[in-house]
Amino acid sequence: MAEAQQNWNAMPDEDFRQIFRTWADANCPAELRFMRKQRPLYEEVKVWYQALADKGWLSPLWPQDYGGMGLNPAKHMIYVEEWARLGCPRIPDHGIGLTGPLLLHYGSDEQKEFFLPKILTGEHVWCQGYSEPGSGSDLASMRTTAVRDGDDYVINGQKIWTTLAHCANWILLLVRTDKDAKKPQQGISVLLAPLDLPGVTVRPIPNLREEADFCEVFFDNVRVPVSALVGEENKGWTLAKTVLSHERIFLGAPTRPEYALARLQALAEARGAFNDPAFVSRFAKLRLDVYDLGSAFERFARVLRQGGELGADVSVLKLFNTELYQRITEEMLEIVGEEARFNDDLDADDIMIDAMNLYLDSRAPAIFGGSNEIQRNILAKAVLRLPG
Amino acid sequence: MPQMIFDDEDGTFGLLRDSVSGFAADFHGPTRMRARRAAGSDLDRDLWAAMADAGWLGLSIPEELGGSGLGPRAQAVLSEALGRELISEPLAFLAVFSGALLSQSDESAARARLIEGLIDGSLVVTPAVQGVDGALSPLKAVATQSGLSLSGEAHFVNAAASSDELLVLAAQGDEVLLVAVPRALTTVTLRPTLDGAQLGRVALENAEISADRILSRQGLTLAEAAVNTTRLALAAELAGNASKALEITVGYTSERVQFGKPIAAFQSLQHRMVDMWADAEFACSAVVNACDRQDEGDALAAHLSILAAKARAGDAAVTVGRRAIHLHGAMGFTDECDIGHYMKRAVALNSALGQPEALRLQFLALERAA
Repeated sequence: MAEAQQNWNAMPDEDFRQIFRTWADANCPAELRFMRKQRPLYEEVKVWYQALADKGWLSPLWPQDYGGMGLNPAKHMIYVEEWARLGCPRIPDHGIGLTGPLLLHYGSDEQKEFFLPKILTGEHVWCQGYSEPGSGSDLASMRTTAVRDGDDYVINGQKIWTTLAHCANWILLLVRTDKDAKKPQQGISVLLAPLDLPGVTVRPIPNLREEADFCEVFFDNVRVPVSALVGEENKGWTLAKTVLSHERIFLGAPTRPEYALARLQALAEARGAFNDPAFVSRFAKLRLDVYDLGSAFERFARVLRQGGELGADVSVLKLFNTELYQRITEEMLEIVGEEARFNDDLDADDIMIDAMNLYLDSRAPAIFGGSNEIQRNILAKAVLRLPG
Repeated sequence: MPQMIFDDEDGTFGLLRDSVSGFAADFHGPTRMRARRAAGSDLDRDLWAAMADAGWLGLSIPEELGGSGLGPRAQAVLSEALGRELISEPLAFLAVFSGALLSQSDESAARARLIEGLIDGSLVVTPAVQGVDGALSPLKAVATQSGLSLSGEAHFVNAAASSDELLVLAAQGDEVLLVAVPRALTTVTLRPTLDGAQLGRVALENAEISADRILSRQGLTLAEAAVNTTRLALAAELAGNASKALEITVGYTSERVQFGKPIAAFQSLQHRMVDMWADAEFACSAVVNACDRQDEGDALAAHLSILAAKARAGDAAVTVGRRAIHLHGAMGFTDECDIGHYMKRAVALNSALGQPEALRLQFLALERAA
């Protein structure tokens, strides 16, 4: 049973920061810090997951009545900052960040009572079934169907890029329940399905880093009861787009580029690259980009700290951040010359630098969470109000 | 649309922005610039007098010296607003730079007279501290019975021909003095600038200066600090320039119809304008960050933040300006269309007191030495 929670929001920021930092530093095992893997499996980080669960700190944003910490956005930022600063690993967090909030907003009492506690204990590990082979950026065009048959829905179709489906036991699904709807956004519903049902096949997809972060999930006449529906039938699109707006700031947090720049600097020191004026010039540009990203992040963070809400403009951070992360990792390969042919880590005065790992990893963030081109489309409409 | 965001509890910054908007209705920046250019003048005297009347020249000069003492944030807000309106008189130099030099000078009758004249607009006091390479460069000083004899050249001097007094650096032994020199004792050669003004090369040859015109014996230290203060104002002006150039471009491309629809409806243009907007946003947040770092008591952090802001805002304004011209098509290439003058002003300000590459290298060197 998780510990009872205090009123964290009433606490001074620095006190909260100290308390979280001290506890996390003492409870997150050293071998899990700054993991090479961006998305470790549940089993790999179970110790950290359970420590958070026992402390009652697994779900920073859920209300305390439902076992969360009930943090406001300002305190949540501290939680995320300290987590990143200590290099704690990401945990499978679709239950905490997606299914939980969705049920809190739209779920029935029975659904909340059944599902929420099981997320907090780690008994249910969730994944997110949105994208399909023919429906990536244009998500509303998806074709996986759920057809009513008595008290069941029968699901047929395929999901893809389903992160960590191979370590999850439940999936939050977007399905088409009305093929004749006027607009593709209408006629979509949200269903909750266990992954051990007959007809479900999960197949991991190795990525460029030769790891399997994401999977294909096939549904062949899979039956779930109608109680698996969240909210109203055919109104799922609105539900699916409900992501707490303030969390979009974290896609732009300078943490990743800062980490990569520190690795580049270590590598450059070891290889004598700072003796090359051309490198110094390029490095200075990257350093200033990271610095200025911090200033831009602060501009949005301040809005949250003052109790305001973020608009669509916050995604400028995601654009800048992801493209900067790529440029930093590209520079790592630039300065090691022929050694960039190797797949393993690079020796920088006995510190091993995972340049290739970061180089490959940096391809992904510009694609996920809405590709950077989709972000630009949204900004053009929502911020610049350009004509369609 | 991009703008610097500060807490403005007593509404000072809002009033300042309104005051610049109202001013620009009477003194249209691009129109005044064209007139100044046609006249071959290095200062629009009427405009300058109106800026003095508006109370803008002593904005960041301490109250006990007769200024408004409003600090770096108010100065940034004013400069940003001037940048937006393309009001291109050299306030950053004649008010901010000279004001910073005089505020830190030793107390004297000469200083009091100069500050008073600077604030009320009756004296045009211009810094003349740069050498031919743009770096701070003291003149040669020889002691005389009554004071100093100065020889040498100062470059990139704003409003040199229109000025009444020049603030120069003068090397005497191990010391670098800050000295006020009457313009009448100098020879001024003008060259036209990209933004429709003139920059002066100022020559002194055995100019006799009385000792009471020596304002400080810490001239170099004062000038280095004034350079940074001015860079911050320039960064704010550049951020305003970039923001407005973007807005003008969004407006133009949303009106201009080709192939039966506004050209802003085409995705290739939309993505370019989003990138321009991002540049302007980052420029604004970099300047806000620099303002925030100024009163935290960490000299290195304060210095670094200004280098970053000037580099970022300069790059942003120049890049946005070039793209803005392109998105205006042939119209953007005309002298009649204002957008090109935003770009020309941006290039001029970006080049003043350090281009981005030089500022970034300085940032890195300072940070790595610390």
